[in-house]
Order: sequence, then C-alpha cells, then structure tokens
Amino acid sequence: MAEVVRAEQLTKNYGQNRGIAGVDFTVEAGEVFGFLGPNGAGKTTTIRLLLDLIRPTSGMLSVFGLDSRRESVAIRRRLGYLPGDLRLYERMTGDELLRFFGHLRGVSDSSRAQELAARLDLDLDRRIKELSRGNRQKVGLVQAFMHDPDLLVLDEPTSGLDPLVQETFYELVAEVTTRGGTVFLSSHVLSEVQHVADRVGLIREGRLELVDTVDNLRGRAFTTVEATFAEPPAPDAFAGLAGVRLLDRHGDVIRFGLEGEIDPLLKALARFHVKALDVHEADLEDVFLARYRGEEPDAA
Amino acid sequence: MLRNVALKSLRDIRRGFLWWSLGLIGFVSLIVSVYPTVHSNPGLNKLAQDYPEALQAFIAFGGAVDYSSAAGYLGIELFSLMVPLLLLVAAIGTGAGAIAGEEERGTLELLLANPVSRTRVVLEKAVALGLELAGLGLVLWLALWVGSVATGMDISVGHLAAATLSAVLLALAYGAIAILLGAATGRRALAIGVTAAAGVAAYLVNGLAPLVHALKVPQKLSPFYHYAAGDPLRHGISAGHLSVLLAVAVAALALAPVFFARRDLST
Repeated sequence: MAEVVRAEQLTKNYGQNRGIAGVDFTVEAGEVFGFLGPNGAGKTTTIRLLLDLIRPTSGMLSVFGLDSRRESVAIRRRLGYLPGDLRLYERMTGDELLRFFGHLRGVSDSSRAQELAARLDLDLDRRIKELSRGNRQKVGLVQAFMHDPDLLVLDEPTSGLDPLVQETFYELVAEVTTRGGTVFLSSHVLSEVQHVADRVGLIREGRLELVDTVDNLRGRAFTTVEATFAEPPAPDAFAGLAGVRLLDRHGDVIRFGLEGEIDPLLKALARFHVKALDVHEADLEDVFLARYRGEEPDAA
Repeated sequence: MLRNVALKSLRDIRRGFLWWSLGLIGFVSLIVSVYPTVHSNPGLNKLAQDYPEALQAFIAFGGAVDYSSAAGYLGIELFSLMVPLLLLVAAIGTGAGAIAGEEERGTLELLLANPVSRTRVVLEKAVALGLELAGLGLVLWLALWVGSVATGMDISVGHLAAATLSAVLLALAYGAIAILLGAATGRRALAIGVTAAAGVAAYLVNGLAPLVHALKVPQKLSPFYHYAAGDPLRHGISAGHLSVLLAVAVAALALAPVFFARRDLST
C-alpha cells in the first residue's frame, strides 16, 4: 500500500511542556488512522503541521510524497480538513461559505455539498451565527468532505454531534475508504476511534507511544470470563488449561483471563454446575488503561 | 462575490463601505454648503492669514492659507486633516483586519486549509483594500464635484480628482503598513496601534517642519509631506510625490507575504 502521510522524528517546540517530540508514523492509503490521546497531548499540533499552519522545529513530514512546507498548496488541493476548534464566517450562510470554499478549490458545482448537507440534515440557508454547535460542526464536515479529497484530516470530528448524526459520519468515513481515500482522525474518546479506525496511534505528552492495528491491540488484551458456580470448585480445578489464567476468585465467583479460544475453558467449566457466565470482550480501553498503568511496558 | 478571497473580503466590508460613504458625503456636503458664506466674508481670510505660522502650516494643504479661493478653502477644511483622517481610519481598520483580524477570529485556519498560498491571501486582501479605497475616493470625488458645481466653486474637476487620488494613495500606504504588521504579528490591535502612531508622527513631522529646522530632512520621509506638497487642488497631479506614496504601499505589500509565510499561525 502507498504511504499517504510520513512523519520522521517530527518535532515541534513551543514553550515548556507543549508541542511534540520525535514523532514517527505513516498513514497508508485507504486506511482510517485513529490518532488518540488526552487533550493537550499533541494531536492538534501534529494536525496543524500537516496543514502547514505551523512549521516543524525539526524532522520530516510529507503528505502524498510532497513536502509539507514547500508543497503545501498541492497537498491541500487533495486534502479535506476539519479543525478541532472550528471557526466559521459568522455572517455567511452555510451555502455561501460552501460556495466560497468551492470556488477556492475550483469546484463550482455545489451538488455534492448539497447532498452531504441533506444527509446530515443541515439547513444551508441559515447564517452561521444562528446555528447551534452541532449544526456548525455539520457545516465543518460538509466543507471537509465536499470535494471528495484523497485525505481527510479530522480533528475531534464527532464533538457536538448527536448520536444519530455520528452514525451518518461513520458512514461517510466508510465511503471515503471504500473509494480508496484515507482518513486521519483524532480523538480523545477511545470508543470512537475503535469504532472506525484500522490502526491507532497513541500520543501522550507529545510523544507517540504506540502504533498498532485495532485488531492487534484487541488481541493483546485478555478476554475476561466470569463464572458463578453453585458450589466453589477445588482451588486447582482449572490448573494447566492452555491460554487460561485464573485472575481472581471471590467465594463462588471466579474470573478467568483468556489469551486464545474460549473452548478449553468451556470444556473445563462443563464439569461443574455453573449458574452464570459472563464473557467480556476486551476493548481498546483495557489495553490503554493497562498501558497507562504501566502494566504492559513492552507493548510498543 | 464569492469567487475569490479579494471579492469575498470586499463583500465582508460592504456594510462598512456604505456607512463610510454616507459619512464622507455628509461631511463634504456640510463643508461645501458653508463655502458661499465664507467666500463672501473677506474678514475671515484676513484673520486666517494673521494666524501664527505654526498654525498656518497645520491648517493649510500644500500651498498658503487662503480662504478666498475654492482650492484654498477645500484644502483647509477638508484635505489638510479630515479627509486623510477618515480615509486612514478606514484603511488601517481594513488593513489590520485583513490577516490579523481573521487570525484572531480563527477563520484564517479554515481559509488556509484551502489550496491557496499565504502570499495569495495577503495579496488578494490588499487588492480588496485598494478597491475599497478607490471606491471611497470615487464617492468623495463625486460628492466634491456635485458640491462644487452646486455652490459655484471655481475649481476644476481634474484638480478635485488629483487631491482625492493623493488622499487615497496616502491611505493605501498606511493600510498596506497595517496589513504588513498584521501579517507579521497576527495581532490586530498592535497593527492598528503602531500604524496609527506612525501616521500621527508623520503628520506632526510634516506640520512642524516649517518651524523646526531639524525636521527639514525627516519631513521628506513623511508620507503626509508627499500627500500635500504637490498642492494638487491648485496644480493637479504631481507624479513624483504620488509615486513616493505608491512606493510605500508596494514596499509594505511586498514585505507582508515574506513575514507571513515564515511564521506559525496562532491558535
């Protein structure tokens, strides 16, 4: 797969404790890359470097194989951007704003913008200053998607959107990758990234701590199984089962951690009178929480 | 009006333009309507010519203080202070808002996500400023023309146009400096304050130069000197002086993209 974004030792110094340091990552064509981290970790800094709104202190950053600084206009021609702190021209209507940006992109046909607005249930005839936060965010989404860019850079895209509109947003993202487009999406919400991303990068305090596929990250986490027994089994009843760890037991409730299939444990459980069984699929939250607690120091 | 940054910027100031135009028309009408009274009162001219030299230097426009002619009257009442003041306020406001204003409001971030270079944004904003000032100049000139005909002023339309052009170019020079400072710093208040202070200083240097020998040389650096020195209401266009004003504007606009392109956009 072709590289759409490549960052090497990307560094941006502001004052103290801000910016990013030595960030390396690539984004491949056709994938959704989730850029995850708490607020202030450096997500927006990285994104603004991609747009050439700010300039790196050191390191290399290219988009579509073009230099992020010298060839920024060519990059931006093929890029759609939704800022985290979205500020629109207050006195324009949505339609005027979209037509203006359309002209700047050399696109005078507004049918795609109209179609997107209709799908998001956005009224383009109202002035921006009259719009709610959610509707402003929709205007931001439409202007980012309307020229069907090769790369979408979305900073906290679902903030302010109600759940129904979020679903439409996820559809739009899926359509982008279906036609071969690439999405770079930042969020501080794990569940959101997990929902759409193929790969995830975790940034914290300006350093990229981990980049991996969502599938791998899931696999790295235990599935936990909680069994409630009619009578407590013998302490060594589940010893020696492949891929099964006994996490803890409280009376007649035992929690197991699974690394592989559930089958060996199920066969072993079948010998007992089990009153209840709860299987908890691991999500990224568990992986990241484990990492934040330092329980998995070799994860990267 | 949404085809490009220049037209869109003009569209943004259309309401302001209307108010500035009405203000200019009203002010010109007021001044011109008083002319017949002043003209028929030779005592006023004598009084003005007895003013101390220092005061005369400030109230005259180009030539000597003279209330008896239309050119002298319009110079004193309009062009020595009020016309450049009004046009400068408009120009500095637009110029400081061009980059720094949009940056402080946060809209520049999304504008620059489009495939337009920073240089192009600065230059299109400068074109919008130029068109705004040309429009205000046209309004001013038409108001003067109509007023001068209505009150029977003995002054040519061409000389009115020359004085107006001079004022427009002076305003363009300061508007361009405001664009430069706004583009270089991203701070609108700073751009307004520094440009306005520079304007006041240049005005004072030019006004005080006839009294203070040490200011004779600095006076030649003051845009206000080149604005008035050709005495356009009496002698028409002075290409030499006007090209100095134009050169200031061009220099500021040439530097603005250089500084703007080097820096980070503020959040």
